[in-house]
Amino acid sequence: MTADFAESRPVHSWRATELAIPGVSVVPRVEPRIARPPALRFPIDAPRPAVTRVGLFDTRPAVHSFRFQSPAAQPPAAPRRMATPSDSAATSLHVLPPEGPVAEADAGASAFKPKRTRIAPPADVVKLSERFFYLLQPDLETILETSRLEFPRQPFPFQFDGMAFLMPRHGAVLADEMGLGKSMQAISSIRLLVRSGQARRVLVVCPKGLVSNWTRELADWAPEILVAVIEGDQQRRRWQWSLADVPVKVANYEALVRDRDLIAELGLSFDLMVLDEAQRIKNRSSQTSEAVRSVPRRRSWALTGTPVENSSDDLVGVFEFIAPGHLHERMSPKAMGAAAADHVLRRTKDKVLKDMPPRLNRDERIELSSEQRETYRRAEEEGVLRLADLGQEATIQNVFELVLRLKQICNFDTFTGESAKLDCLEADLEEIHASGKKALVFSQWVKTLGRLRGKLSRFGALEYHGGMSTTARDDCIRQFKQEKKHSVLLLSYGAGAVGLNLQFSQYVFLFDRWWNPAVEDQAINRAHRIGAVGAVTVTRFLSANTIEERIDEVLRRKRDLSDTILSQAEAPGASGLTQDDLFALFKLAPPRSAAPIRAAA
Amino acid sequence: MEQKSAETMSGAAAGPRAYGFLTAVESGPHGVFGGYLLVDPWGRPLEFHCTAPVKVSRAQQILFGSTLQSHLHGQQIGGTLLAEGTVTPEVVLTDLEPMLHVRSHTKLPVAFVRHASSGTPAAMFGSTIGTGSFMIGNASVSPHATDAARGDDLRARLEELAAAVDLCEPFERIRAAIDEAQRR
Repeated sequence: MTADFAESRPVHSWRATELAIPGVSVVPRVEPRIARPPALRFPIDAPRPAVTRVGLFDTRPAVHSFRFQSPAAQPPAAPRRMATPSDSAATSLHVLPPEGPVAEADAGASAFKPKRTRIAPPADVVKLSERFFYLLQPDLETILETSRLEFPRQPFPFQFDGMAFLMPRHGAVLADEMGLGKSMQAISSIRLLVRSGQARRVLVVCPKGLVSNWTRELADWAPEILVAVIEGDQQRRRWQWSLADVPVKVANYEALVRDRDLIAELGLSFDLMVLDEAQRIKNRSSQTSEAVRSVPRRRSWALTGTPVENSSDDLVGVFEFIAPGHLHERMSPKAMGAAAADHVLRRTKDKVLKDMPPRLNRDERIELSSEQRETYRRAEEEGVLRLADLGQEATIQNVFELVLRLKQICNFDTFTGESAKLDCLEADLEEIHASGKKALVFSQWVKTLGRLRGKLSRFGALEYHGGMSTTARDDCIRQFKQEKKHSVLLLSYGAGAVGLNLQFSQYVFLFDRWWNPAVEDQAINRAHRIGAVGAVTVTRFLSANTIEERIDEVLRRKRDLSDTILSQAEAPGASGLTQDDLFALFKLAPPRSAAPIRAAA
Repeated sequence: MEQKSAETMSGAAAGPRAYGFLTAVESGPHGVFGGYLLVDPWGRPLEFHCTAPVKVSRAQQILFGSTLQSHLHGQQIGGTLLAEGTVTPEVVLTDLEPMLHVRSHTKLPVAFVRHASSGTPAAMFGSTIGTGSFMIGNASVSPHATDAARGDDLRARLEELAAAVDLCEPFERIRAAIDEAQRR
């Protein structure tokens, strides 16, 4: 028997709750009718198993990419020296180990690991790509080395820190104590920005008397960079302002005020504007401040050793240039310090120059001669009586006039010409002159300097003040520096307190006292600065039992304000010379409510 | 990945000479961040690429076992980052031994670099490191086993850069940048 089997394939299928197996039908040809067997059903109760999927890194992580289009991609060109620095000992920069024992190196490492200065992005740089631009740069020392820049001398580590502070900032106040090389740090930073193409047009604004100082320092610290000094008649200045291929222009404040419209007319704008002695713009309503702020610019740096001279408003004035609106007068000193912190860098000599020669302060209390004392007594009594007669009509100007008159008598008796201070000064200068050393003598009055020069001619005394031409002043400094016969340089606070490098002088005399201790510090720091070869002795003359002693007491209290803001400490009780203070010098009640006196700066 | 690296190599012949620095940073709560910095011969940045954090699960740890680090660093992070570069480096340096596994995903020479003062012999780092280690500046450079025979060539390629920067220093920059990215 043959039989064809029409076979139907059994199908096993899973359902949710049962296993169904269909029956197999075998259909023989001879017997077509056999009943189909029933399907077998086995109910089960098995849920569908859950499947856990374990990811095996089957997706690539997201990547954020940043490309830097900076001129950093260009090979650093060899410097093009436009001027030969007078110091022929200029050397390539090499980071040298500091003096003294080498700090603990890594175990097994014999090589010295020098300090490396990182350029940190400022707090106001928000974009991550810009922050990365700074964070991913090599350290400053490497940038300088690979740029093959030459410096007249090896910068101090804190000066590298200053450059690293300035370079990334669009608004910055370098407020180092006088003598720490603010201009050198600014010039080196300018140089790096110019060399890297980040700045093509730079404007430096400084007091008139410091223009030659700046050109000299620029030639020393950035010899390959062309510099134009804005000076001369209007036609010449127009041409100088228009020079497109000169990266750095140096102008004095007066020229800037005068040429404000010209700058606008020429459509000038600057990649960087640097203000030296920026306390000049502390008064926001002054012409100088307005002219400075009107110049279009991308970066604004302020250099000042005294950002706070009288009151916290001074710093607000400077900030209107570097970061308008960032500070306001209603802030407490502590809040202002916190708000300003990322924009201000201040170092003091005692913190950064451990090996700097000491500054020896000597307050010389001078007893007036009997004639001088009598002249002084009469002037004070008459003056106070006059003020008392004026009563509520008395003005601050009246008080100033009396103070000035009394201070002048403390210097020289207006009738006899006697001067107890001069006697003391002469005695000191004899010794200084004999030992071949140099002394600086500061006074508030040019007239006093003239009288002193006559009396001190045997010491080769020279005069330096704002009434002299720039050429005459430069010549005076050159003579004092180079000629041994000149032991004494007589300077006015106004012209001589800023910008001069007189660190070869070992003695400073404050023949009379300025209104503001910050200005006195500036004067002292002409001698006590980097490069000082020995201790600097500072003698402050104070006529006993006179207005000078009373002013000194006020100034001592005033000295604390700057520290309060710059260190973010609590405010001290006294913040400056007020009308109250001035009237109190004569035990008089002020006519109006007390307010800080700007003129007292 | 390899193919893309090859494309990158052929497409970037013109630009300045470049050097790659590849590393990863473990950040407890986030995972592992990768960073790849390309610098010019003076150490200045040309490109920077960083990954989003890669978090490793317990299951991945178990399943990958001892191959986890090489896979994570070599392929997931390293391979991904190298593929993003638009300039071709002379050599890719890493300061993480597991990152050497990226060599399997690129045609670029890869070397392990560490301070000479670290004192750990190259042999301690396993089979990924070849025998052609050399000193350059303060750094000890150990090529991947694949590039072991190219020690002299790699040294020549690195000399210009090593004259400008400490070869271990750019990794500090990458870590600082990743740290910054996490804080933002």
